[in-house]
Amino acid sequence: MNMNPAAPTAIGPQIVMLFAALMLVLQLLLVVQKMLLTNIRLFALQSLMLTVIAAVIAWYYNATHVYIVAVLTLIGKVIFLPWLLNRIVRRIRIVEEIEPLLNAPTSMLICGGLTLLGYIVARPFTTLEKLGNNTLAIAIALLLTGFFLMINRRKAISQVLALLTIENGVMLAAVALTTYGMPLVVELGIFFDVMVAVMVLGILVYRIRESFASMDTSKLSQLKG
Amino acid sequence: MNPNPIAILLQTALLLLLAPLITGCIRSWKARLQNRRGPRIGQPYFDLRKFLRKDMVISEHASWVFSAAPYVVFITALLVGLMVPMVTTQAPLSLFGGILAVVGLLALGRFFLALGGLDPGSAFGGMGSSREMTIAAIAEPALMLAIFTVAITVGSTDLSHMVAAAQQPGWNLFNPTHLMAFAALFIVLLAETGRVPIDNPATHLELTMIHEAMLLEYSGRYLALMEWGASIKQLVLMAILANIFLPVGLATDGSAAMLGLGLAVFLGKILLLSAAVVLVETVNAKLRLFRVPDLLSAAFVLAAMALLSTFLFK
Amino acid sequence: MELTSATLLSATFLGYVLGAAAGLTCLCHERLAKGLAFGLATLASACGLLAGGLYLTNSAASGPVPIQLLPMLVPYLSFSVRVDPLSAFFLMVVSAVGLAISIYSLGYARGFYGRKNVGLLGAFYNVLLLATTLVFTADNAFFFLMVWEIMALTAYCLVSFEHEEAEARRAGVLFFVMSHIGTGCIMLGFLLLFQASGGYGFAGFHALGDKMSPGSRDAAFLLFLAGFGIKSGIVPLHTWLPAAHPVAPSNVSAFLSGVLIKTGIYGMARVFFDFLPAAAGPPMWWGVTVLALGTISAVLGVLYALMQHDLKRLLAYHSIENIGIILMGFGASLMFLHTGHPLLASLALVAGLYHTINHAVFKALLFLGAGAVLHATHTRDMERMGGLAKRMPQTAFCFLVGAVAISALPPLNGFVSEWLTYQSLLQGYGTTDSLLRLMFPVGGALLALTGALAAACFVKAFGITFLAQPRSESAAQAHEVSPAMLVGQGLFVAMCVFLGLFPTQFIRLLDPLTQLLIGQQISGQLTVANGLVLSGLNQNGGTVSTLGIAVVGLCLLSLPFLLRVVFARGTKVRIGSTWDCGLQGLTPRMEYTATGFSKPIRMIFKALFRPRREVQREYDFSPYFTTGIRFEARVEEVFETRIYRPLNRWVLWASRRTRALQAGSIQAYLIYIFITLLLLLLFALK
Repeated sequence: MNMNPAAPTAIGPQIVMLFAALMLVLQLLLVVQKMLLTNIRLFALQSLMLTVIAAVIAWYYNATHVYIVAVLTLIGKVIFLPWLLNRIVRRIRIVEEIEPLLNAPTSMLICGGLTLLGYIVARPFTTLEKLGNNTLAIAIALLLTGFFLMINRRKAISQVLALLTIENGVMLAAVALTTYGMPLVVELGIFFDVMVAVMVLGILVYRIRESFASMDTSKLSQLKG
Repeated sequence: MNPNPIAILLQTALLLLLAPLITGCIRSWKARLQNRRGPRIGQPYFDLRKFLRKDMVISEHASWVFSAAPYVVFITALLVGLMVPMVTTQAPLSLFGGILAVVGLLALGRFFLALGGLDPGSAFGGMGSSREMTIAAIAEPALMLAIFTVAITVGSTDLSHMVAAAQQPGWNLFNPTHLMAFAALFIVLLAETGRVPIDNPATHLELTMIHEAMLLEYSGRYLALMEWGASIKQLVLMAILANIFLPVGLATDGSAAMLGLGLAVFLGKILLLSAAVVLVETVNAKLRLFRVPDLLSAAFVLAAMALLSTFLFK
Repeated sequence: MELTSATLLSATFLGYVLGAAAGLTCLCHERLAKGLAFGLATLASACGLLAGGLYLTNSAASGPVPIQLLPMLVPYLSFSVRVDPLSAFFLMVVSAVGLAISIYSLGYARGFYGRKNVGLLGAFYNVLLLATTLVFTADNAFFFLMVWEIMALTAYCLVSFEHEEAEARRAGVLFFVMSHIGTGCIMLGFLLLFQASGGYGFAGFHALGDKMSPGSRDAAFLLFLAGFGIKSGIVPLHTWLPAAHPVAPSNVSAFLSGVLIKTGIYGMARVFFDFLPAAAGPPMWWGVTVLALGTISAVLGVLYALMQHDLKRLLAYHSIENIGIILMGFGASLMFLHTGHPLLASLALVAGLYHTINHAVFKALLFLGAGAVLHATHTRDMERMGGLAKRMPQTAFCFLVGAVAISALPPLNGFVSEWLTYQSLLQGYGTTDSLLRLMFPVGGALLALTGALAAACFVKAFGITFLAQPRSESAAQAHEVSPAMLVGQGLFVAMCVFLGLFPTQFIRLLDPLTQLLIGQQISGQLTVANGLVLSGLNQNGGTVSTLGIAVVGLCLLSLPFLLRVVFARGTKVRIGSTWDCGLQGLTPRMEYTATGFSKPIRMIFKALFRPRREVQREYDFSPYFTTGIRFEARVEEVFETRIYRPLNRWVLWASRRTRALQAGSIQAYLIYIFITLLLLLLFALK
């Protein structure tokens, strides 16, 4: 019973599939990795893969505006944001996450389940993918696991990172599903939105640290009257 | 394909002669990478000869199980090696067993190794046995799932068939399924051969030993058989990894030219894999025993992802 | 040929009856009672084995063989038995196991001289064997229930044979209660079948699924699953197993684990494959449920087994694990029947049935070994044993063979049946496109987990019991057991080796079975290369030959000897002491313990076990000078504390409330009768 599905033989979609799968694997590593600096590097690597996917799609399908997306991702999420987050982490001088809510094996099993869920959800939409690869499932999986990451972690920086990975997932869906992607204006809007959000969060994190001497967001519940 | 006595002899000779070389390479390169001079590459051969020629001391508390264990470990390692395609696409004993028989025979060897650790009545041996059986138990699901994934895409558990299918034109080297299955199997390889980050093969502290602790009471020719068996097992697992995921250059007939080319390519692949192992060993530190399940469940989830991706990427 | 099968079977029954009678009449003469009772049991089992074997090899020529035992006295109840392929297979199982155990008992029962009544033991034993054989061959639902009850009763008597121990009494009562709950479910199931068929004969129940409505068919499925599941020990209905099997006399434990729980498997095979399926195949959720329950039982069974340090309790939990593996095969088979793959269904069924007989053989072997150890050391606690390999070498060897077999290691029989199960799971992946097909690889991965954990558990069991130094005085004084006990164990070893090395010959015997239940014969497709190699159904799929592996392995044994001749000539072997870090020699207290051996697994799965430990130091004047340390470790049995105890408490609470009904006054009782009468009249009016 040969179950080998007919893999697309062209090189472009193959690279896209490969890097999308690697993005998912990196997301898994983010879930279990506890060192904050490593997490930031993993996020940078994931964004780099997104850049490569965008570049490949732009080159392969001759869609020049996707090049702009690739460049923006490169500058913003591979270089600038990780630098910013690194600076924040070094200023606050906390380098490791506190114990997450669920231990590593359980988190990983849940992420596996969420990936499966992403696949089930994406199955009816396979006709939307004009490029012949099933990256919608991966994008949804990135979204769900990013949410799970946000719930599982207690330090504000990790939650910011989780938000950024969710955004990676959304961008993947936008870029890789159809060659035309979303209108450029919308993409730019989302992009700058996230940029500003991170900068604001960076300032907030510093304030939280000063008020509570800890980045543990569960301490924010002390603010209740 | 029926077993060919000449092929059996040749492959046995290859296993016996090549295994210590690989162990020696890994040790020597690890030392170089750590800025030490390290032993020469051929040192394990001299070690084996030394062990064979020495007297043996057997514990007074040990029973016949202690004496039987080295033979079982050695023979099961050789049997497994005969079932794995190394230089040719058809392994000599491929009719007698596929990947499931390989896993079963390795388990048999480990069973007797663990009993041999318990027999002399020393607490170190007991600890080694306990840890070894536990780690093997939690590595099994990842191993089986990864094997299943590969077997499903090929349609068979016969290793020669897996290799042959991999040589078909439709096979995609960078298929995410295979990459993830490879990663999962690589982690299981580290666990089964007792390499950092799961076990440190060069440690002298008994409380940190897993595989070495079971060998503490062995000496003389029994120790030679045990060490040789462990090297052969390591070579065989590497060969499985190399030949299933990178099946280039395997000889399809018995001509001398093809065999020579196959041997050279096989050597190259194994040395490449050894270099990867050396890199991983040098970069990582040994994990605490109770962190090893985390790593192995990561391998399990990777294998599960590989399985999912067989129908995820249509 | 049918005549011979029938006459042999009748001889079997007669033999058991005579054995029971002999045991009862010679209550005062211990040796005579023992010899007659167990001797006649041996002969009777041999006849049964021959009967089953003859039928299976010749059944192509003949159909099922009915035998009327007694004239029909009561309508609906006919004392008839029938030998058809399924019965013949299980007849072989019970007779093979009974044969070896009876021989073993000739030596084992000597341990009861002077303490307990050996004649009674022999009588009960024979009745148990008779009842079990009748259960496998009964042809009529009423008769089936009758002998089922007799089997449960005799088993209860045997479990509480050493009723001086409170533990045995409690175990007996638990066994009795759960067995009856199961019987109740089975009775209801048979009533549902009777409604559809109009009679109670099994011949009339065949392929009843078409005549039943889907609702009643599903209800029957659930009832039979519950009833036979209690008997087999599926999680969560298994709590009686680890209580009852350790306290029974060891030959009885071997029979309980080896055969009695297989009556549940027989029932499930009979009902799910013979009676209930409709022409379109069983619904998918039947197979999914059985597969899921099997997987859960397998994993939980082995995990709890690892935590035990009572040797027989450990073996009892392993029975739960192996029943799980058998059910995985059955579940997969049901799923394949639904998706329309009869060949694969036959493969999975063959895997399940092969594992049935394998488990019967190696589990009985292990229990007999445990009985020998108990006989020699008078304790079941592994923490008090050790060093027995030197004092009881033949028993140690037999136990080792059993341990290798149950850990599914090649080239013995456990490996063969697990290999077949893996093949059916692997090839099952392509049978359906729905997400349910993920159950097969995950089931395979969990099966691998249980196999590896079972190996770990038996390294512990064999290693702590037989190896290293004796941990107590009684272990140091142990000596080898009598020849009868060794012959019994040896027979099982021979069976394990035969079933392991010659699977292709044995699978031919299963052809009539799959023909009857599924309509396919597959032994031809599973045998290649002149019958030496076993293959999965796929022609290019994997093949395995345990015989080949064994032969090549023995040839390779020449290599170490060659090395010895070339390099190691003249080396000597000295006996020295174990490395003791410079202390004055190792004492048994420094050895590894069973509890310590399983600690890593206890810690890894602590979410399931919730281990608790207490360490208390006793000291006179300062805590730095301890005079004694008390250590207590406990593992929670999740099903007992979370399901059964609350259930017990609720039942008692409900009973106390209902007690109010029994007011003690005659008026109240008269009112109850009057109301019932009124209700019946109103009901009849409708």
